[in-house]
Amino acid sequence: MSHLGDRLSALVDGELTGAERDRASAHLAGCAQCRAEAAQLRVLKQKLRSLVEGAPAEAAMTRRLISMTGPGGPLPPRRRILRVVPGGRPEPGRGFPASTRPGTLRPRPARRRYLFLGTVSLVVGLGTAAFTAGGGGQAAPGPKITPPVELYSVQHAIITGEVPFSGPSSRAASHAFAPGYGAPPP
Amino acid sequence: MRFTLSRATSRRPRARPPWLLAVVAVTVPGCLLTACSAPSGSPQDRTPAASRPPAAAGRPAARHSSALAIGLLSAAARAAIATSYQGQELVSRWGNSGETVLTSDIWHVSGGQTVTQTVAAGRYSSGPYLSSDTDGQAPEGVLGVTMPLVRLLETHYTVAYAGPGTVVGDSNRPAQVVEAWRDDGTLAARFWLDDATRLPLEREVFDPAAHLISEDVFFNVRFGNRAPVGPPAGGAADPQGPWTDPLSPGQLLDLRAHGWLVPAGLPGGLSLFAGAQTQTGNGTALGLGYSDGLSVVSVFEQRGNLAAGLSGWQKTTVDGHVIYAAVPDQRSLTWSSRGMVYTVMADAPAQTVNAAVGALPHDSPPGFWKRLSRGFARLASWVNPFR
Repeated sequence: MSHLGDRLSALVDGELTGAERDRASAHLAGCAQCRAEAAQLRVLKQKLRSLVEGAPAEAAMTRRLISMTGPGGPLPPRRRILRVVPGGRPEPGRGFPASTRPGTLRPRPARRRYLFLGTVSLVVGLGTAAFTAGGGGQAAPGPKITPPVELYSVQHAIITGEVPFSGPSSRAASHAFAPGYGAPPP
Repeated sequence: MRFTLSRATSRRPRARPPWLLAVVAVTVPGCLLTACSAPSGSPQDRTPAASRPPAAAGRPAARHSSALAIGLLSAAARAAIATSYQGQELVSRWGNSGETVLTSDIWHVSGGQTVTQTVAAGRYSSGPYLSSDTDGQAPEGVLGVTMPLVRLLETHYTVAYAGPGTVVGDSNRPAQVVEAWRDDGTLAARFWLDDATRLPLEREVFDPAAHLISEDVFFNVRFGNRAPVGPPAGGAADPQGPWTDPLSPGQLLDLRAHGWLVPAGLPGGLSLFAGAQTQTGNGTALGLGYSDGLSVVSVFEQRGNLAAGLSGWQKTTVDGHVIYAAVPDQRSLTWSSRGMVYTVMADAPAQTVNAAVGALPHDSPPGFWKRLSRGFARLASWVNPFR
């Protein structure tokens, strides 16, 4: 004689209906072993119900945990910054080719965008700084010269046959009339 | 002998700046002495030569007239050396910065030395400038009339005798008038030479647009056989001293071989006619003179770089190049290029000066990549802890 097995639990839970429930009940009436198991199941079920009713918060947590373990949609992808791909992306379910080693860094799209913007900003900033710093004349070696205008104006006067016309610097100073040249014209 | 130069407007009807008449009128023996430098009007405000009745109408073509004019100018150049004289010179310039006026006292000993000293506000504002022409090589002269310049003038212009004139003053002193004309028929310059001594007493220079750009007047002149001035005593100031004698063409070529820039000419028909060297605290300086007989451009070269923060200079743009001009008259221009500092002084129309400056070397702005490369090198040097 075959016992109820899984149907015993369904019977205790009230999940059997119609002829199936009648056959299960008829067997239970004649099988002491199944009656004993059914009694244990009912006791266990009552104890579980009493626990759920006494701690609803824990029950909710339990339900959520249970629901997470049950069948559902695909898990969200694990976040990985980089995936190491040797010469290309490996096919799903297959590892890297044995003859290659990881060496190429391929950023994912969002990260790639940030990396691109950062690189561009760095290049533009450095370029601007270099362009600014590269302005002005190229200092050649040699002394720093302030043109001796007085001296030059004398030579200019010599070759032009005119009086020195040395500009403002010559007028800034006042000199006494040189001795030995006679007096200025009356 | 003494006279005061003034104007006979009936003989030479032309617009004369009122201040000039005032200055000449108040000039009395032993005092004058006002020099100023202030912008007052643009060259366009001055009366152009074309609007005046010329002393010699039309362009002279007579060969004898030209020969006579050259003879007179040559005699004037010799007289500036051989005659003893003293007087005062009023130099007026009209340039980009306006009008600049300078008054100087001049004493010259026949065949010898010349002393000039600038006066301003009744006082001497510069040390005495002593030049010696005893070797006959230094082109001493009055109002720009020297033998080298007369030869260049004859080459580049049509020089004509414009007839006798009169320097009307205390003594109605007679003068001979000589004019220089350009090939396009415009008047370039006019000289008044003392009839008795041939000493130049006045010179006017016009730009190609017939605007007066410079006027030199020698007045309160006294002539005499006896030297009116004595020799310098006690090692008096001799600013000419540092400059060498005029360099020969061979020496100039040798300088070119040693890296100095010695162009044979500059735009505007300016020819190299003078060169000299001197020693400064920063090494050797070379002075080159270019002229067409009327306009004179001096180019000075010195190895090195222009000092930062030049006092008395301001940035300006000439012929598309950013350079420095001495304030306030902007008569001196300077810049550095490729390890050489160039300084230009000129008595020439603005167009001529601009062209001359443009013909000399300038550092062109670096290209994009060159500037970028130079900037990276500088940035690297700034952050290099081992430099």
